[in-house]
This record gives sequence, C-alpha cells and structure tokens, in this order.
Amino acid sequence: MSDLDRQIEQLKKCEPLKESEVKALCLKAIEILVEESNVQRVDAPVTICGDIHGQFYDMKELFKVGGDCPKTNYLFLGDFVDRGFYSVETFLLLLALKVRYPDRITLIRGNHESRQITQVYGFYDECLRKYGSVNVWRYCTDIFDYLSLSALIENKIFSVHGGLSPAISTLDQIRTIDRKQEVPHDGAMCDLLWSDPEDIVDGWGLSPRGAGFLFGGSVVTSFNHSNNIDYICRAHQLVMEGYKWMFNNQIVTVWSAPNYCYRCGNVAAILELDENLNKQFRVFEAAPQESRGAPSKRPAPDYFL
Amino acid sequence: MEVLVDEKEIKAAGGELLLEGRRGLRIHGWEIESQNRSILNSLQLQQWEEKLQTCHLPEMVFGDSSLVLKHVNSGIRIHFNAFDALVGWKTEALPPVEVPAAAKWKFRSKPFQQVILDYDYTFTTPYCGSQSIEFNTENYSGDTLDEKSHHLQWDDCEQKIDMASLAPREPILFYDEVVLYEDELADNGVSLLTVKVRVMPSSWFLLLRFWLRVDGVLMRLRDTRMHCIFKDRGSPTVLRESCWREATFQAMSAKGYPSDSAAYNDLSIVSHRLPIIMQKTQILKVPDNCKAVTNC
Repeated sequence: MSDLDRQIEQLKKCEPLKESEVKALCLKAIEILVEESNVQRVDAPVTICGDIHGQFYDMKELFKVGGDCPKTNYLFLGDFVDRGFYSVETFLLLLALKVRYPDRITLIRGNHESRQITQVYGFYDECLRKYGSVNVWRYCTDIFDYLSLSALIENKIFSVHGGLSPAISTLDQIRTIDRKQEVPHDGAMCDLLWSDPEDIVDGWGLSPRGAGFLFGGSVVTSFNHSNNIDYICRAHQLVMEGYKWMFNNQIVTVWSAPNYCYRCGNVAAILELDENLNKQFRVFEAAPQESRGAPSKRPAPDYFL
Repeated sequence: MEVLVDEKEIKAAGGELLLEGRRGLRIHGWEIESQNRSILNSLQLQQWEEKLQTCHLPEMVFGDSSLVLKHVNSGIRIHFNAFDALVGWKTEALPPVEVPAAAKWKFRSKPFQQVILDYDYTFTTPYCGSQSIEFNTENYSGDTLDEKSHHLQWDDCEQKIDMASLAPREPILFYDEVVLYEDELADNGVSLLTVKVRVMPSSWFLLLRFWLRVDGVLMRLRDTRMHCIFKDRGSPTVLRESCWREATFQAMSAKGYPSDSAAYNDLSIVSHRLPIIMQKTQILKVPDNCKAVTNC
C-alpha cells in the first residue's frame, strides 16, 4: 500500500495526518491544481455536492449515499471548512482523494476557502488546537489559492459556489481571471464565490450590507442563453430540503451539510448526473449520533448569570 | 433521553419531570417546558413571510422551538418564540448597517437595473419575551374577566435581581438552551437569539440574549434576565432586567481592545467590554382579579 493510500485510509477514520505529511500532500496537490482551468471541464457521469463545512461524519454519509471515489466521479462546490468540528480531516481527505484520483474528483473554491474567513469561522482555531501551530492552516490556505473557481459539465451545466457577477457575461471572462490570490473583497472573483440568486429582484440587487450582489431571473436567463448552458448549479445557501430550484429551473442550489451546525435539523442533497445528464437528487440525513465523535446534543447545565 | 439531573433531587425539591417525551418539569406551581425543533422548511418560511409581511427572514428560524413557563394556578404564561421576536424586529426596523467592504463597493461600476435592498438584515429585535394569562375555568370562580386582563404588564421597579443568590450552590434541576433564530449575515458576522433557563430548588432564572456581531463594524448585545423565587402561596413575583450593550469596532479599538472579529466569540468577555446603553428592571404586574384566583 502506498503512503497516499495509507493516508486516505487514516483520514477516512477521521484521524488527521502529521504536519510533515500535510506539507508533502499540499505540494503534490499544487502541481495538479495549478494545471486546472478557472472553468474546469468535467465529464458526466458526475455527482455534484454542495457545502460540507467540516461535518466529517456527515460527509461519510454522503459517500455512503453517492458511492466511493474513484468509483463515483465527484464535483464539490466549495465550503469544505469552518463551522463543523472536523474541517482539518474533511479538507485533507478531499485533498488526498484529489491527489490520488485527480480525474475522479474536482474541488472548486467556496468563499470559506479564504485566509480571512477561516480565521473567524473555525478552521484556523481548529488547526491551532489540533497541531499546536498554524502551519497546517498555512499549507491549506495556500492550496485554497490554487482551487479552480468554477466547473463546466459537458459544456451544458455551469457550476460555481456562489453565483454570477455583473462583471461576467461569458465563460471566457472567467477564464482570464488570475485566481491565485486570497479571495478579494470585490470584483468578478469575489462575486462568483459570494453572490446569491434572489426572487424579489429581476436584474441585479445590492445587499443591504452595501456589499454583495443578488441576481434575479432575467440575469440567469441571459447568462444561460449567451453561454449555451442548460442551467447553473451552485451551493452557498442553506436549504432545508437539501436542494432548491429557482427561476423556472434555470438555477439550482445544492446543500450537502445535513443538520447544519449540528442543530438545524435539515436534510442534505447531492445531484447525480448520468452520462446523458439525467438528474437525480439523492437526499440524505446526518450521521447517527452514536457513529460520530461529536459532543452530545444537549448543552451541559451551566450557572449562567 | 439524556436526563442530566438526578430525579431524586427533583422529587426532594417537590418537583416532577414532565412525561411523554416532553422536556421540562413541574415545580412549586410552575410548569416549565422547552422544545428544540428543526428550522422551518421552505413552505413554512413562505407562510411566515406572508404573516410578517416581509421577504426576508433569518437563514435559520427555529419556528417550532420555544420555552414556556406557566404558573398553573394564576394562568400566567411567560413564553419565548421566534415569531414574536421577529414581529419586534419588523416593528423596530433599524436602518441597515454597512459592512467595511461597502466603502470599496461604492466605486464599483453599477450594473444595469440595480436595486438596493433596504431592510435590517441584522434582525435586531427589542423582544424581551411574551406573556399572557390563560384561564382554566375549573380554577376560576369569579366574574368574567374582560379582554384587557389577558395582557400582563411589566412595571418599572427599584428592586434588582439578587445575583448573589444565583451563585452556584444549589443543584440545577432543569437546564436547557433554545435557539430561536440565527443568521450568519452571509459570513459577515452573526445574529443569534437564544434563551437559556435553569431551575433550582428555590427559584428559576432565565437569560434571553440577542447577540449581533457585524464583522469590523459593530456589536450589539441585548440581554433580558428573569428571576422568580418560588413561594407556595399567592401570585408569583417575577423580576425582569433588561440590559442593552452596544459598541462599534472602532470604539472598541480606541479603548485598546482588539479589533479583529475572532476576539469576540466568547460572550462572557464581550459582555464585560461592551458599554451599557440601556438598563432597567421591571416587575410582572399581576392583575387583581387574577390574584383573587390564586389565593382561593
């Protein structure tokens, strides 16, 4: 058994790798990721997965439902880390699979794959806690800069973490972005990872936060038409039912973190496309309590004041 | 079911656990019950949007979760739920807070047909609990009560919650924490409304907390504490203390505190650092006609 296969087996048991192993894995991953396009071509059949957020045991449920990699070809739409208890193991397992089977798993970048966001929402603290230093966080966040920004399945389905950008009307415009950087606070790359579809606007909307675009049905129609695609598949927003179509089936949100933050009670979904691009959503629930090492659901009594 | 308390202790204190899968207990005339349920599904969210006349709700609305404290004899019912809290948000309707990136965005070229959304995406609410009187006709023998008496009032008072009496020396017979709603502000911070309760042999105490952090901009903590010392006769005395704290990140850093968001995850630290902007104590006013019921 090769070192890499052994590491994959170890990670599947939710045991993190040694720091030196992470460093070596990341170096190998960079060699693969640097060759990928900003609009990475993906062949069908493929199974599309949304946000995971460090919910390792729930990702194992996902693989139970969707099948193991490399038997199943996977596309993950980002947000592997933050919020859940096992961002380190989750991201490293996906990355190890990427290095081992580069043509059978595609990882694209979510807005949480960023230095700034991971320092606030958990991944940084988790690395520090599990390794006693932030080196692993550094190796991983360096990898984030190499992750592709989107994927195109059989030239017909455009996949991205967040959504569209007013600065982008063609896929070629995405191809020209220099992605090897921290996610910027504005501009096309930022929008692809952050924006949301919104029912109550038809064209473009600006969030009340003063930053962040919302896009309506007519924006999606014209994007799909000019790029000759059937629909957009994205993640980024929690959906209680695991997936949600909008704008007359022109865009679908896929969410793959069941019982989000271990308390929402939502189901998760993955989207399976066969070789003819026929769709099947597979809905799944969180891993049973006894199969995870997570703390018990009930908060411990505390003498709060 | 994970029962963390010793049932013997509850019995010794004159209480009993609620049965049939319910979480909570009966003690000294109070029935205290919590419910932790899933977030609302898409259909329910749509119904709430219609009822609240809004297009925007927090990402996670725990609409079926609640904490209810019912004083059985008087019919006093103090309860906490997401719907009433969101009614408060709708009414207060604060103007939106701009995130730091907004300054840069002003210089971006505007897309054709841009609509700027304008609502309080922080879901800040003045909510400090709901209360009503529920009459049980079997216990009530007087005249018919008019509508007005169904609404309980809180009167300002000088009395304060005796925090010293809440020090950790009594066992906790019942404890729970209920999240009412939560929003991640699209990864620009957190907006969270929760209520925690603990029941001891001599009293119950609860903390309803609205916590808001808009990263790099502002923090807001609106706490409501309620305390009721058990007595076996007469109507209950419930004290309610509201304390609102708020500061901008700029003001915090001017005071020498850190300005990164990660430094503000521990609310026990935050609550000491944020300056108070409003504080008051109130006492639950029990209508006279209701007192008659409890005394008989």
